[in-house]
Amino acid sequence: MVDLAVDLRDVAKTYRRRVEALRGIQMQVRTGEIFGLLGSNGAGKTTLVKIMMTVIRPNRAEGTILGRPIGHKGTLARVGYLPEHLRFPPYLTGRQNLEFFAALAKVRRPARKQRAAELLDLVGLTNWANAKVGTYSKGMRQRVGLAQALVNDPDLLVLDEPTDGLDPVGRREVREVLGRLRDQGKTIFLNSHMLSEVERVCDRVAILASGKVIRQGTLAELTAGSEHFEIQLHGQVNAAMRAAIRAALECELTPAAASAVFAASASSILPRETGKLPNGETVDVDGNILRIASGDPLRIQPIIDGLRSRGQVILSVQRLTQSLEDYFVQTVSESPSQRSLQGQGVRR
Amino acid sequence: MTQTCAIFLEAYRSLNSKKLFWITLVLSGLVALCFAAVGLNEHGLKILFWQFDNEIINSKQIPVDQFYKGLFLQIGIGTWLSWIASILALISTAGIFPDLMTAGSIDLFVSKPIGRLRLFFTEYLAGLLFAALQVTIFTVACFLVMGLRGGVWEPGLFLAVPIVVCFFSYLFSVCVFLGVATRSTIAALLLTLLFWFGIWAVGTAERTLLFFKTMQHHGASVAAVQAEQNRPMPKSRGVVDRSKPSPRADRPPAAEKEASKEENESAALNVAYNIFYGIKTALPKTTDTIELLERSLMKAAKLPQSSHPEEKRMTAAQQEIIDVLRGRSIAWVLGTSLGFEAVVLCFAALVFCRRDY
Repeated sequence: MVDLAVDLRDVAKTYRRRVEALRGIQMQVRTGEIFGLLGSNGAGKTTLVKIMMTVIRPNRAEGTILGRPIGHKGTLARVGYLPEHLRFPPYLTGRQNLEFFAALAKVRRPARKQRAAELLDLVGLTNWANAKVGTYSKGMRQRVGLAQALVNDPDLLVLDEPTDGLDPVGRREVREVLGRLRDQGKTIFLNSHMLSEVERVCDRVAILASGKVIRQGTLAELTAGSEHFEIQLHGQVNAAMRAAIRAALECELTPAAASAVFAASASSILPRETGKLPNGETVDVDGNILRIASGDPLRIQPIIDGLRSRGQVILSVQRLTQSLEDYFVQTVSESPSQRSLQGQGVRR
Repeated sequence: MTQTCAIFLEAYRSLNSKKLFWITLVLSGLVALCFAAVGLNEHGLKILFWQFDNEIINSKQIPVDQFYKGLFLQIGIGTWLSWIASILALISTAGIFPDLMTAGSIDLFVSKPIGRLRLFFTEYLAGLLFAALQVTIFTVACFLVMGLRGGVWEPGLFLAVPIVVCFFSYLFSVCVFLGVATRSTIAALLLTLLFWFGIWAVGTAERTLLFFKTMQHHGASVAAVQAEQNRPMPKSRGVVDRSKPSPRADRPPAAEKEASKEENESAALNVAYNIFYGIKTALPKTTDTIELLERSLMKAAKLPQSSHPEEKRMTAAQQEIIDVLRGRSIAWVLGTSLGFEAVVLCFAALVFCRRDY
């Protein structure tokens, strides 16, 4: 049986004026993993995080956090939290802030000072330890925020936009810290808009749309089946090239609607076309680029042969997997609730 | 306990960082220095090096301890602490809850293993720290000034600390409720000052009505006293005690009509007084609370008796008002005020604990 750090079952929240923020969330986070929570604006990510941290009261919430019911205050002594847009008392120094929040997290006095010094060193603020937080830059405050979340040596770390305001070096440092914490067996729950960050550090992700989890799993599980080959031809895009491609593919091509699977689009004077190969794979022709929805190299050999035999020069052949960003955009746009929202937007 | 101590320490650091805290403290020091500058001797007042001879204000007429206590009560407590310093304290502390409840700040607090109710009351008590510190420092300074300058060592002065903190807590509870409800420092401060003005107005109206009611009961009239003071008193004329009305049968019809009118006025005055007294009972009693200190430090002096009948009636009425005011029980003054504060705090705590941040 998998050991779960967070096990949410049927978490629901409706704000005043009947705004349904969460509609029965089911989500499991395993102990020792980095879990990413994704979703577009208004999907309910921050509401979910705040419910976990008892900042917002749910209408319904079943499940556990570190083995105790959601909302159990004592459990929060084992949880670290970095909120979005955090605001520290500006009259306290970095060190005083860490010691103060450590005391609120019930860290004993002797450990507080030592822990604060270690964490200031970890986030690179030792030289600023005795300066008031009011004088810090946004990035520095974010670093203190991360240190504050770690001050009680938590088993579960909940981070809401942890790289917000950080420069590329700072972001890399945060990634490294998160990696080290995972190695120490800590569980990290990451809510971020930065899909590239999530892709780099997360073991598993969940995608939220209109208050529901629409996908959940490892990155490999989610993007499985999205493997495809991309063949780029050399030369000018014209009718002759398109005719050669049609002949090589041995299938009917029809003008295509925008597809999220093949989101990248080459500028072309000819319309994008799609079709189905005799063995069932989808093919997409966009200018001088052909995309074949198959991860099997044997499947594309006849197409390469066909193109070459018709005088086409092949510039590159790449085996690609859908990026998390592409997957996210596709999933969210295909989500029924999202479509319904878009429909409402159009009607308005 | 670790969490409570941490919140108190943070509140102290917050006060420490506020310029207004230090400005108030410096002003308190100046008021205490002013006390130190005033001396009383058998010839009159001595302010710094200047002697002001006075036949009434001198140590032969007024005991030195009563003089200093009076000065402390009238200026130190009555004007400085219960008006000016309280307004400065409200300005300094009005932002405690709105600041705490700002997005990004409240998240850090409520996500810690501390209950919201406990957090609320600890922050509330931390807010009272401002008033407590200011009053304690000021009282210590005045205690030393009175001891060193006047040779009067009066430990009863330290009653000012709980009494003024109690007085401030009535206003602070309202300020906290408004701060929690509106999440705006300015709104909380302005509405609290408005509320303060309101309870002051109710208190003043109640006292004014009590004054007129008692005067009417004693048959005294300010105009009559003034008129009587302006003419010499005839030796042969007997004193008519209007507080004991003559039998109705002896009254002429005009006097009967007059008496009936007076009775109606008296009944209306009683109703108005009872209404304001009822409203005042439900509200915090700021003036009465501060007067508790005066009650404990100063003995009520008997008013000098006059030979003029109208003045005599006036004096009797004034004496009765003083007796009524001094006779109000501590349980009524503090109990009903603290009851009001408890209700307001319960509502504020309810809003604070149930709110989604």
